Amino acid sequence: MTVVAARRRAPFLLVLPGFLLLAGMFVLPVGLLVATSFTDRAGALVHYERILTEPGYLRVVMRTLTLSAETAALCLVLGYPLAYQLNRAKPLARALILLCILIPFWTNLLVRSYGWIVLLNPQGVVNATLRRLGLIEGSLPLVYNTTGVLIGMTQIMLPYMVLPLAAVMSRIDPSVMNAARSLGASPAAAFVKVYVPLTLPGALGGLLLVFMISLGFFVVPAMLGGPRDILLAQLIEFNVNQTLNWPFAGSLSAVLLVSTLVLYWLGDRFLGLRKLWGAE
Amino acid sequence: MTVRRVSPTSLAKPVLRRQVLKLAGASLFAAAAPGVLRAQASELVFASWGGSWEAAMREAWFKPFTAKTGINIRTVQGNTYGRIQAMVEAGKTEWDIVEVLPDFQWIGAEKKLLEPIDFSVVDKGPIMEGKDLVTEYSVPQVLFSRLIAYNKKLAPGPATFADVFDTKKFPGKRAFYSKANGAYLEAALLADGVDPAALYPLDVPRALKKLSTIRDDIQFYETNAQAEQMMSDGQAVIGLIPDGRALNARSHGAPIEIQFGLSFLTWSAMVVPKNAPRKKEAMAFLAYALTPDAQAAIAKAYTYGPVVPKAFEMLPAERANILSGGPQMKGKAIIMGEKWWGENLAGVTEKVNAWKLS
Repeated sequence: MTVVAARRRAPFLLVLPGFLLLAGMFVLPVGLLVATSFTDRAGALVHYERILTEPGYLRVVMRTLTLSAETAALCLVLGYPLAYQLNRAKPLARALILLCILIPFWTNLLVRSYGWIVLLNPQGVVNATLRRLGLIEGSLPLVYNTTGVLIGMTQIMLPYMVLPLAAVMSRIDPSVMNAARSLGASPAAAFVKVYVPLTLPGALGGLLLVFMISLGFFVVPAMLGGPRDILLAQLIEFNVNQTLNWPFAGSLSAVLLVSTLVLYWLGDRFLGLRKLWGAE
Repeated sequence: MTVRRVSPTSLAKPVLRRQVLKLAGASLFAAAAPGVLRAQASELVFASWGGSWEAAMREAWFKPFTAKTGINIRTVQGNTYGRIQAMVEAGKTEWDIVEVLPDFQWIGAEKKLLEPIDFSVVDKGPIMEGKDLVTEYSVPQVLFSRLIAYNKKLAPGPATFADVFDTKKFPGKRAFYSKANGAYLEAALLADGVDPAALYPLDVPRALKKLSTIRDDIQFYETNAQAEQMMSDGQAVIGLIPDGRALNARSHGAPIEIQFGLSFLTWSAMVVPKNAPRKKEAMAFLAYALTPDAQAAIAKAYTYGPVVPKAFEMLPAERANILSGGPQMKGKAIIMGEKWWGENLAGVTEKVNAWKLS
């Protein structure tokens, strides 16, 4: 083997372990699970028929997609200023902000959910404080409903938004903003017309990451949500662990996977998502 | 069922770590002492719900059993149905005994995941009478119940299930278990006037209609710890919650009373997964756990009722009184139709979910 050929091969060899891991630990199991969803004696599509005809399933799919999208949007609104500050702050302040974002991230999901319940329930800290300040009478419904789910999910997903955003922001050359100002743009105009567009890839990447990961949420909606906050992952878990109906769990997973891919395709079509990954 | 029904994901992390540590410890130990290895030949793997319940079983059951037979019991956690199925179907059964909820008596048998119980070794004679407590593939372990607990400010509190559904008489939230088989469908039907003897098969549409009347006052709990919390801090004023959790909350000073007269009795079961490596030892353990002595010992160590009535005679009256199946519940407790649930859980869950989402 010539040196050139070896050099050409090296990148592939480096990719190989990751590729094998993904193929063996992800693609294969998911493929098998989805395959079982077509193998019922009563017909290949019975499980899909059930999803389409039984009331509830499609509603859960929609609920999963909308809750994930809402979480992503909230993360962007809260995460953008955070990432901006993170980038401008002095090293010590930056470390503190990072710590505040990451400590909850490292905390057990269940512990965090109980924590939210303690804070948000009608007798909880938030409502009690608001009552004492005379701002409300009675209590605000902050938990055991969609509000609770969104609060819990947004907090968990925030790092996935802040970190890619901060990375993109740190690469923006400060002189670009100066140039805009010297050409007569107001600070607001320079921010909106120059800075924001430059951070767009980070924002889109964050949105996508938060959205995709949120689709699989399970513990948080179950604990902080109301009766209507059933997400697809809960139904998949129920079918795997309670009724041992793997084929049906497989079909639910397939529906989730396909709707995610369709959304990604649409996003790519209209927002050019693939630019995020460096493709032209 | 108190600590034991924490949602599977909640246990995953610490359990895994604990297991890895345990395994690491065990392998070091084994390498150092070949004698120990030999002793492990008569070891039994018991998949449990873990936590304080497992600790109670260790004292009341495992240690005396080991002393008597020389068979060690090693526990593992994460006893989900999915894992039993995966294990059996991969032909690598590692567990000898698994404690499960009773619906698995039928779900497991139907999926051919279970070994028949050897009733020439396990004496089912002394076990409490009751439909479906013993099946070809399972024996009951202990009794527990979901019962009505209520906030003291509602005193004298609900006396019937109709009261539980009467939000004018008793205003406030009701805490129900989020899964369909949390007994609230049964409670709704009883509140609606259905004869307890004619409860099963459940008239699900009728139950949901009744539930709709208090819909905005229902607060579903996902874990039993959450149920205890809701009752303790007054987020809910009436709860249909596991008896162990109600007793625990009350003894920790929660402002609640327990209505032993409004209870649904159920049990946990022990099964032997198909091709368990140590079947013989497993049967010996099941036989031991169902002796009156062992049943009395576990009922003293943990607030679950013995499945062997004779064991109640060996308990002090104040203990017997608070336990499931004890004198306070006698003749009043509704026995959950677990067989019906085993066969209908999927379909009913679908209907309940659709109702929740509507």
